[in-house]
Amino acid sequence: MAAIADTQAASGTGRQGPARSLPVWRWVILLVAAVYFLVPLWAALRFAGIKALGSVVTQAGFADALWLSVRLAIVTTVITIVLMLPTAVYVHLRLPQVRRLLEGITILPIVIPPVVLSVGVLQVAPSFLKSTPYLLALIYVILAMPFAYRAIDAGLRALDLKTVVEASNSLGAGWITTLWRVVLPNLKTALLSATVLTVALVLGEFTMASLFLYQTFPVWIVVFDQTSGQISVAASLDALFVTWLFLMAITMFGTRQSRRTGGGEATLFSVARQETRGN
Amino acid sequence: MTTNTASDAAAADGTRPAGGTRGTSVVLQDLSRSFGGTRALDGLSIEIAPGELVALLGPSGCGKTTALRIVAGFESADTGSVLVDGKEISRVPAAKRDMGMVFQSYSLFPNMNALDNVGFGLRMRKLGAAKRRQRAGELLDLVGLAPQAKQFPHQLSGGQQQRVALARALAIEPRVLLLDEPLSALDAKVRLQLREQIRTIQQRLGTTTLFVTHDQEEALSMADRVGVMSHGKLEQIAAPDELYVHPATAFVAEFVGVMNRIPAELGGSGMVSCVSCTVPVKEGDSVTDLGGDNAVDVLVRPEGLNMEVAEHGNGIVTTKTFLGSVTRVGVLLSGDVTVQIDKPSSEAAALAPGTSVSVTLPPEPVLVAPRR
Repeated sequence: MAAIADTQAASGTGRQGPARSLPVWRWVILLVAAVYFLVPLWAALRFAGIKALGSVVTQAGFADALWLSVRLAIVTTVITIVLMLPTAVYVHLRLPQVRRLLEGITILPIVIPPVVLSVGVLQVAPSFLKSTPYLLALIYVILAMPFAYRAIDAGLRALDLKTVVEASNSLGAGWITTLWRVVLPNLKTALLSATVLTVALVLGEFTMASLFLYQTFPVWIVVFDQTSGQISVAASLDALFVTWLFLMAITMFGTRQSRRTGGGEATLFSVARQETRGN
Repeated sequence: MTTNTASDAAAADGTRPAGGTRGTSVVLQDLSRSFGGTRALDGLSIEIAPGELVALLGPSGCGKTTALRIVAGFESADTGSVLVDGKEISRVPAAKRDMGMVFQSYSLFPNMNALDNVGFGLRMRKLGAAKRRQRAGELLDLVGLAPQAKQFPHQLSGGQQQRVALARALAIEPRVLLLDEPLSALDAKVRLQLREQIRTIQQRLGTTTLFVTHDQEEALSMADRVGVMSHGKLEQIAAPDELYVHPATAFVAEFVGVMNRIPAELGGSGMVSCVSCTVPVKEGDSVTDLGGDNAVDVLVRPEGLNMEVAEHGNGIVTTKTFLGSVTRVGVLLSGDVTVQIDKPSSEAAALAPGTSVSVTLPPEPVLVAPRR
């Protein structure tokens, strides 16, 4: 106890020194970071010109490419959540001893080179998919798995799933009702997080799409670069801005949700609920 | 519905609460359950009368929670059966058992406010929104939380959350109320209040209740009958006072209340010698499985020993703990044995540490156990 008091006192007196110098350093770091991130944007804007930002939408192939990317994002997100959510719930409830293993498996897509994964997907993909761009969605599901699983897993950990499910059961709710009325509403933030990560991944993915010769939005930007560098750069800026707006909207929605029901601050990468339950 | 073996047994005991005919009888028959190599339950049988509150008491790992979870339908027994009002329910899923349960950890649904939490079970029973809100409101009122109806679980204290959980479990008018250590996460003061509240409500509604706890004070103060469990078996089930005064086994004797162990010699014809007294061994004691060994321990409560100041006594006072009207005196006997003896505080004032005393056993039958 005395030791704790001592350190507190020490840090209390010591605080005056850093307290004066810390804000300066904060500003310096902020400034350096801002320069690092904003200068390329500013340069891109100068190169493309304000007018080009608006003219992007009228370019040949733009609408098709964007629409393909959006469709892929939707399909990938749906498949990912339909696969990952029941799996994660089941493992949490019935096979807790497998949780470690599953964590290991879901991290594999980060370790294994994407090209190897795509060969694997080609091996098992149903033949009717092989000639459509939705083949990409299958690959994206695998690429998104590490992020989506972690987001959902964190949400489940915060919930005390077993007790809540048993409480719901004992009150007369069957499995489907329990999932729909109790589990899902409490995983909103986690699912949002998984969705954001998946969508961001799909909208930005270039390698696989270009490898399989489909013109998704990122591929279109690169291809169009050969026709008009300015429009291509403007398209990148547009994409960045729209994605940023989208992420902000989702984050704000998530925060409002969790504020109402007492979850912690919802951020994109952390959905852990603060333990606010005390006596 | 009202008369069966369980209710008869309870009525004969005189433990049947007023209005006990309203509830449901529950019978656990020869339940066994193993997890891997360990036997969590080993032939457990209990009969609970309608409207009765039975507490299962035991150290952690004794199988009490497993028993409760089997009744709730969250676990299944390897062998044995659970009868509710005489009907076997082993095949009935948890959602269809009509049992209200309060859990050890906070189990409220975080996405619903207190009122919706309480109304959830009614919603599952397809009750209309208006009726649901009314009934949920009544139950929140019953647990004294009507003003908190619109609050979410994270805005409630631990004690309030458990009270909402109790209201939620009672809202469905359960046939049986199951309480799985509902107070153990709370601090002492809240625990005491809630203990009384649960008991009052349970008696008012006459709901048959099975209550699992490791806290003997909780079990003894709340239950009509207390079942003491050890290693998956029921050691004894009896009314709290019966359990304290006439423990059936050494385990019960030592688990419930404070118990002294004094080395003794088993003599012939059911007598035992201890602290230079010879007293009879209690009838029906587990003395038969002592394996013919004469070295045993006598089990005796702190209030069951006599003590007088004596010049050259067999003990020396070492400690004194003031407990209000009585003082617990620690006495060191020969052979490095320390016993606790309760004396009225007025008499204990004269017993300073270091005083030589003479400790004797009153000439009543005592419980003995194999020497440790």
